[in-house]
Parts: sequence; C-alpha cells; structure tokens
Amino acid sequence: MNNGLHMIVLIKQVPDIGKVKFNVEEGRIDRSSAPLETNPFDLNALETAIQLKEQIGGYVTVVSMGPPQADSSLRDALARGADRAILLTDKLFAGADTLATSYTLATAIRKIGSFNLIICGEKTVDGDTGQVGPEVAEHLNIPHVAYVCEIRSATLDKLLVVSDMGDKYLVEVKLPALITVTKDINTPRLPTLRNVLKAKKASIEVWNADSLAGYGELCRFGLQGSMTTVFKIVFPSEEGRKGLIFHGGDAVEKLVEVLRGRRFIG
Amino acid sequence: MNSLSSGLIVKLKEIVGENWVVQGEDLVAGYVLDETPPPIRPQPNLDVVVVKPNSSEEVSKVLKLANEYDTPVFPRGGGTGLVGGCIPTAPGIVLSLERMNRIVIDRDNLIAEAEAGATLRDLLNASDEAGLFFPPHPGDEGAQIGGLIACNAGGSRAIKTGVMRNYVRGLEVILPNGEILKLGGKLLKNNFGLDLMQLIIGSEGILAVITKAWIRLYPKFPATATLVIPFESRTVAVKAVPKILHAGILPLALEYVERIPIERSAERLGLKWPCKIGESFLIVILAEQSNEALYAQCERLLSLCEELNSLEPLLAESREEQENILKIRSEIYSSLKPDMVDILDATVPPASIGVFMDKVEEIAKRYNTYLPSYGHAADGNIHVHIMKEQGWSMEDYDRVRNEIYAAAVELGGTITGEHGIGYVRRKSVGKFLNPMYVRLMKEIKHIFDPKNILNPGKVLP
Repeated sequence: MNNGLHMIVLIKQVPDIGKVKFNVEEGRIDRSSAPLETNPFDLNALETAIQLKEQIGGYVTVVSMGPPQADSSLRDALARGADRAILLTDKLFAGADTLATSYTLATAIRKIGSFNLIICGEKTVDGDTGQVGPEVAEHLNIPHVAYVCEIRSATLDKLLVVSDMGDKYLVEVKLPALITVTKDINTPRLPTLRNVLKAKKASIEVWNADSLAGYGELCRFGLQGSMTTVFKIVFPSEEGRKGLIFHGGDAVEKLVEVLRGRRFIG
Repeated sequence: MNSLSSGLIVKLKEIVGENWVVQGEDLVAGYVLDETPPPIRPQPNLDVVVVKPNSSEEVSKVLKLANEYDTPVFPRGGGTGLVGGCIPTAPGIVLSLERMNRIVIDRDNLIAEAEAGATLRDLLNASDEAGLFFPPHPGDEGAQIGGLIACNAGGSRAIKTGVMRNYVRGLEVILPNGEILKLGGKLLKNNFGLDLMQLIIGSEGILAVITKAWIRLYPKFPATATLVIPFESRTVAVKAVPKILHAGILPLALEYVERIPIERSAERLGLKWPCKIGESFLIVILAEQSNEALYAQCERLLSLCEELNSLEPLLAESREEQENILKIRSEIYSSLKPDMVDILDATVPPASIGVFMDKVEEIAKRYNTYLPSYGHAADGNIHVHIMKEQGWSMEDYDRVRNEIYAAAVELGGTITGEHGIGYVRRKSVGKFLNPMYVRLMKEIKHIFDPKNILNPGKVLP
C-alpha cells in the first residue's frame, strides 16, 4: 500500500433494474430475469475514489458481500482502477437485512485495518433503502455524510463536501469517515480494454464468515443477525396512455369534467 | 378546408370512421414533414387530408377510392426519412398507418408478424420480451415497420446480419388498385415465381402500400460489449476497418465517429463522451453466444489495435454504458441538423472506405469547408455532412455534393446506400443511374400503378 488516502469502496451486484421482472402476485423481484451488474451508484462511489487517488494519491480497496458470482463486479472495479478486491461470501451471510449487511461489512473493514475514507453509493437500486452506508459508519463509530454530490476539497485529514438532502449543505468532515455519493457527483469512466482483460485474470480475495471471527460476532451475520424481514412488496400498477375523443357542443364541458375527475385541474 | 372533393371526404370517413380523417392545415401539419434537413426539403403541400386506417381492408378501400377519384396517396410511417420520401408534394391523401401497430411473435419460427405502423422500438421491445432479438438498428426507433421496409433501412448494425431486406420474410401489401397481395410468409426458402417481395422492399412507397410484414428474429446474443477505439486521425481510423474484418472479427456494428460531432451530441443528451483521447473513433459492438467467445474476440482486437496504431481502447459491458454510447452515436444527426444542408449516404465497397474518405478530405480542403463525417464504416457507408457556409448558394452545395457522389461512383459505389432517392435525390438519378435501369423502373411503376396515384413525384426522375 502506498502513501495517500486508503479508501474502501463498498459495492453490490444487483439485477439490471431496467430489465428485471417483478412478480406482482407474489410481491417479489425475480432476480433471475435480468443480467447482473454493479449497482450503478456504486460506480459513482468507485469513480470518486479513483479521482481522489489521482488527485492526492492513495489506494483503493473494493469490498462486496454477495454470492460467488459477485466476483465479476469486483473484477470490473479492478479494471476501472481499484487496487484490491475482497469478496465476502458465505451461506451464513445470506438473508441479511440492512443491519446485518452493514454489520458484516463493518466487520470486514475492521479486518482490513486502517483506512481514511469509506465510499458507498447513496443506495442500491434493488433495495433502495440508503441505510447500509450510514449504518456501516455507526458500527465503526466514525462520522458520515450521506448524498454527497460534490467534493470541494480533499486532504489526508478532512473533506469539504456538498450533501444534497433536497437542499444542499456544505459539510466539512474529519477523516476517517464514510460518505455516500449521488449520481451527480461524476460520470464513471469506462475501463480500458487492456485493464478489463487483465482484471479477468486477477486474483480476488474471498473471505468467509469464519475468516471474520475475532473481528465481530458471527451470530450478527445474515438472517440470524437481521432485525427486520420483508413480508410483502407492493408494485404500483402501470396505466398506459389512453386517447379519448369528445364530439359535439358539450365536448369542452365533458373534457373539463374528466380532467377534474382525475384532479388534473381544480 | 382543402380542395379535395367533399364526396371523397365523406367516403373516407365511411371507411375509417369520422375520427380518423384529419383535415385543416393546423392538424395535418404534423403529418407532412420528415427529418430531411430544411435547406433541401421540398415544400409540403398542406392541401391534404390525413387518413388513419385500422386494417388492411380499410387501406384497400382507401386505395380503391383514391383510384376512383384520381387522388394521390402519400403513405407515411414514422416520418424519420432523410430524403423527403413521405412529404406530400401535391394535394391528396396522407395515409398514416399509425393505428396498425400490432405485433405477434412466433417464437417457434423465430418470426415477428408486425403491422406496418408498429415502430422499431415496439419491435425491439416485443422481441426482447419474447426472449428474442432483432439484430439491426435501422435508424430512429420511432421509425415504423412499413417505412423501414419501404426504404430498406440499413443503420448501424448491418454488418453481422444485414439490412432490413435481409430480415423480411413475407409482406402483405395493398396495390394501388386496392388489391391485397401476400408475398412470401414465414418462410426461409421460397422460389415460387419472380420475387416481387424484394421489389417492394426499398420501393419507397411508389409500388404498393405495405400493411404487414413477417420479420426474422434471432436468438439473443447473451454476451455483448461495446468498444471505443480512439485514433489520432480520420485516415488511420478508417483504414483500420478492413483490417479488423480481415482478422476474422465480425462485430454487430462497426461505426466511425469524430470528436467534435460526438461531443456535441453527448452534450445535447446531457451525457459525456467517454473517451478523452483521440480525434477519431471506431465504435465496435461485439455480440457473441458466450462470454468466452466475447473475450476471445476482445483479446484479438487488443493485439490488433497495437498493429493499427490506435490509442488505448475502452470497453463498456453494462447495458446502460453500452446504450449511452449507442445513444450518443445515434443522436449525432439531430445535434448537427441546425447547421446542416444535407446528410449524404454515398456508399463504397467496404475496402475502399479509406480511399473514399481521403477524397472527401481533399474535397473539403479544396472548397475550404468542414465536412463532418460519421457512420457505418464497415459497410462502406460513412455519412458525410454538408454544412451551412456563409455566402454559399445552393449551386455551391450542389457542386460539393456532386463531387462526393462522383468520388463514390468512381470507386464502384452508389450515391445512396440506405436513405434512398425519395424527393431530394431524384435530380441525381439521371446523372448516376444507367438510362435502361431508369426506363425499367418507370415501366415497373406503370405496371403497378398505371394512374400514378401512389407517392407521385418521388424516386423516378
């Protein structure tokens, strides 16, 4: 590891949300219906880290918790400029809610050791909670700033960032800290073909639950460590475009009536 | 109101229903233009009535009626053409098939049965939902199937599996006398008689109205990736194209773009062109049956790039990143349009594309003008754009255009590889097409349409 910021980027592999099918009757996402990709916000997180590394030097470790195939997202991260990739995978990690997920990630970060900055996407497109990042910070007892849309300045000790919470706040945060970033912060770069091919052959460190023993309590991982369960997902029904044609002298009145009925006008 | 007989209007309303006959200059105005650059676009005739049938039978009745009243019929698709092919240039009927937009997918036969008014986007989505794939991307996704076939659209994904003509297996057409004719069907092989279907494909609405098509689909390519290969100059980039193909790499698309137009397009879309280095780029879309095959192609391309003097190529694998590149590429035309006089589609044998582009550069220098160029490099079909120049007359633009056409023809090429003749290229037909060819076309038109009611004033000089 060289000098500069040691950054840890947390990423998750998710189904391509633009393609995924929802099982409306059973109230669940059919994850097998779409190809897997890196959570788009996490690419912004990674890009933030790479840009900071380019500006002030540093080292980027990416960590992902997921099934073995999440390995491809880590390789993608290496191709885009990350230096080290760790996959947390174990049956014990399965069924985790945001609390157990953030606990497991925080435990892995403790094992990694010293760091200056943890960067996450603002949320995942499949869970949509935005909780995991801030919860990791709480487990590690470090400050966090969520919804960062701009980094004004960065040193080895502190960051000056803009947090977009509906209104924008200029926040200075001492390091070590965690930030979650929005899509507005940057446009993730494409990896070079050369680096993609190199990353295919790179080694990914795989950590299971046992390898985290000594850094956290195993009973707080996965389903066992989860305090919440999803019992139902409700999908809003989609209504297609509809054309109506009104004839005759009272056409305008009829149209007004329809628009009022739908509360488009008062 | 218009000059068409009131008896005709009443009968049209009886056929398609009152709601689907549109009159009045304000209301028909949205149905008389296409995407042809305004400086060369013909003045549309607003003395028209727009008719929107909902079935082949209704189209047939409209054409019988038009015959009876000797009234021109201008069939219209999505209005995405670039040569004024659907613009009504005389009083008559604009026939919009937008209501006929149903698509049925026959998975077993790998065929989409699509009505003419369905859009390319509808076809791509319906194929995708059925787990299949329509490989070409013949232009704007708002284009309609009827128009795509009538214009034999090409687009950016022709190299691996072909242009529109290569996908059409059957057509239902309505002849100008109102007769309904089915040509071909869900067949891969059919040698029964002269191939009239192929004659209709690319006939630009002058022989018959297409109402339905049977279109070949493919199984999905599960592994896809989009590469952006930067080069320092146009010459080096374009000359790399045949070498990529010689190396046995057959991409779904191999497009050529340049920095100024591509950045302008990206900015207009609120996106960023991903490549910071280089002035000219090849966009290579690979589509393979497995990741192993895909990465094997990537390895070959990477070693080839070193031989081709490219700069460091980039690779997009996620759907969004790949789609953004294609979107930026697809919107170049819209971003250049305000400053453009004409978009050319002269096409040369693929191996001659380098020589052709050298000639284009030489023409640009000689006339002291900028000719931004991009397009389907591997098809020998790069779009050269003639841009507005201060103080130039139409004759000046014509001179540049004719020089580019002559350069293409001299290399064994054609003045139009995909946009067709429409209205605006008619004046070049006599100059660049064999007189016997023109005579045969005129005679064929007469056999199909003796009263010349279907899209008159188009294609033929």
